[in-house]
Amino acid sequence: MDTDTARLLGEATERWAAEHYDLPQRAHRLRCAGGFDAATWRIYAELGWLALRVPEAEGGLDADALAVGALMEAVGSRLLLEPVLASAIISTGLLVRLASPAQRVRWLPALVAGHAVLAFADAPNGCVWHAGTLRGQAGAVLHGDVADAVIVAAHDAATQRPMLCLVDIAAGAALRRQAYRLVDGRGAANFDFEGLTAEVLAVDDAAASALAAARAEAAVAQCAEALGCVRALLAATREHLALRQQFGRPLGANQVLQHRAVEMFMLQEEVAALTAGAQQALALPAAARDSAVAAAKAYVCRAARQVANDAVQLHGGVGITEELAVSHHFRRLMVNAALFGDRDTQFARFLAGVQGGAR
Amino acid sequence: MHAESLAEARQRAQALRARVRYFHAHEMPAELARKSAQHEVLDKADYVQWMRLLHEQGWAIPHWPAEHGGHGWSLLERFAFEDELARLGCPWIIPFGVKYVGPVLCAYGTPAQQQRFLPRIAASIDWWAQGYSEPGAGSDLAALATQAVRSGSRYIVNGQKVWTTYAQWADWMFCLVRTQREARAQQGISFLLIQMNSPGVTVRPIATMDGYHHVNEVWLQDVEVPLENLVGEEGRGWDCAKFLLKNERTAGALVGMVWHALQRLWRAAAETGRGDDAALVQRIGELHLRALALEAMAYRAVEAMMAGTDHGGEASMIKLRGTELYQAVAQATIDVLGPAGVSFEAAGDAGGVLKDHLYNRAATIFGGASEIQRNIIAKTVLHL
Repeated sequence: MDTDTARLLGEATERWAAEHYDLPQRAHRLRCAGGFDAATWRIYAELGWLALRVPEAEGGLDADALAVGALMEAVGSRLLLEPVLASAIISTGLLVRLASPAQRVRWLPALVAGHAVLAFADAPNGCVWHAGTLRGQAGAVLHGDVADAVIVAAHDAATQRPMLCLVDIAAGAALRRQAYRLVDGRGAANFDFEGLTAEVLAVDDAAASALAAARAEAAVAQCAEALGCVRALLAATREHLALRQQFGRPLGANQVLQHRAVEMFMLQEEVAALTAGAQQALALPAAARDSAVAAAKAYVCRAARQVANDAVQLHGGVGITEELAVSHHFRRLMVNAALFGDRDTQFARFLAGVQGGAR
Repeated sequence: MHAESLAEARQRAQALRARVRYFHAHEMPAELARKSAQHEVLDKADYVQWMRLLHEQGWAIPHWPAEHGGHGWSLLERFAFEDELARLGCPWIIPFGVKYVGPVLCAYGTPAQQQRFLPRIAASIDWWAQGYSEPGAGSDLAALATQAVRSGSRYIVNGQKVWTTYAQWADWMFCLVRTQREARAQQGISFLLIQMNSPGVTVRPIATMDGYHHVNEVWLQDVEVPLENLVGEEGRGWDCAKFLLKNERTAGALVGMVWHALQRLWRAAAETGRGDDAALVQRIGELHLRALALEAMAYRAVEAMMAGTDHGGEASMIKLRGTELYQAVAQATIDVLGPAGVSFEAAGDAGGVLKDHLYNRAATIFGGASEIQRNIIAKTVLHL
């Protein structure tokens, strides 16, 4: 998919969301169980979003990181609640990489049609694969509350190597699932796997390399989502500074506030540049890819949080209210910072790359 | 810009980088490369040698129009070229002739002025200085008060310029002077070329904390300047000044300077036995991450300028982020060097690193202070 196609996808997504996903409409969806509206999810399928990561031969669009980024940017700016990242990008991506013919037939058509939701639990320390069964816990699995299946990154007790398996909840896998809401309104679950039988997706080196690729893809998609949030936050803040009158003039007439807004703008431009770079880096060999992607997410994570902090501050009291999108973007960025490799983890990964000779 | 031509420009920029690295490794005098990379003091002869070397390579005036000897480099090539030179620690490209007054003469000069000055600028035969700032006109440049009064076939110029870099070496100074008092301060300013050996020109050094003589006061007392040394129309010098600024918008050197300084910082950590000091590695790592962000932002900005999708704040952003990061890296290097970092007489290159650090505290002041750059972005991009 080229730049123009990706841009068109982004614009179409924004247009759809502007009409169907304003804050009151979003608040309505939040009242669904787990913040998940199955009807909306099927619309995403009709719009083709759920087919982005699937090869054309299997009914998908075979989209690249640029197109995924265009979609994720709109997800961030409009604060879409549905499992685009967890299911349509990360989990679908893992299945496309690893699934057997039978698994593909079982899942890919259902995912593309919007009849299934997958979650991804990255818990190699918490979950053990032993003699064909899975034991252990995975916490804060995004959209785990509504998932029909969960892909678990565990470790193999025999080899102490990573392995990836699929737990088919819809088929009645024996597990305990504690569902709850994250602070941004999206659903999550803590899983307790009590020696259940799971389907193997990959073991050893194949699992390790697929896991690294999935983590990188998740981080890059999150960068694009953060960019969407940051753009929305800056636009709202700029508007507020231009319109809000205090002391008989617009807030934006004060140089100290102008300069803070300029800092937000520069952070936005850096986030945009690093996100674009990270999208290109996905095509690099693993070591270079992982270092570049970790650097991008580490920077983007902190920059986006700073923009959110400043947006709240420059809005004044209304910045912390439910009524304004600002507080929702703030919470979304806060949650994202904790998911799929937090800032410290990403920074350490980047630093290891630098010290390993990438510098 | 079409995707194909951007891809081509990227390829040409990569090829140019390779050529620059080859030049640095095999053709540039080793002593000049060493002195520069270690921030030793370069004198006029070093810089003239450097500028002439660049000219021999065809690298002094690539951005000039073809009829004056340029060869149509894209913005990306210019940026990558300066970035690569700076990464290697090469000397500063002295900008006053080839980057500042040269393009102004190409655009606004008469054929006679172009014939007289351009070949000597290209070959670094004349040394040029920039007569802009005055005691009463710093960030507010249009407040300048140096006066030029027409008298027969010449102007009589009186006033004072300040912060004039390397005026002590200059043969010529291009100078903003006031020829009329108008309602708008930007009107009534003219762009004059003043020969430095004219009677009435006095250069006085300004001592700076890095212990080296870069900047000067230039006093102008009843200096006679022939009318033919006026560039463009009388009273329209601000147009030339703005054009000059626009032409100066590719600051690739900052990105390369940051990488050069960062390499030195990592080395300093290793040399002082602190390569495994977690707190220090964390500090340098954060700076390294900022350098990646600067680089990504800068190249995206250059490509936007080439595509015509720029928002107008790009040059300010690059300068802000680049200079502030450079200062942070330099300060960290001094900290890591410890006592060796606080004497000009320390062994190795520490004295040069110190000098460079002290001098570059001015990097966030000259060429539009950081606060002015933020004002520019607030106004042009955010419309506040």
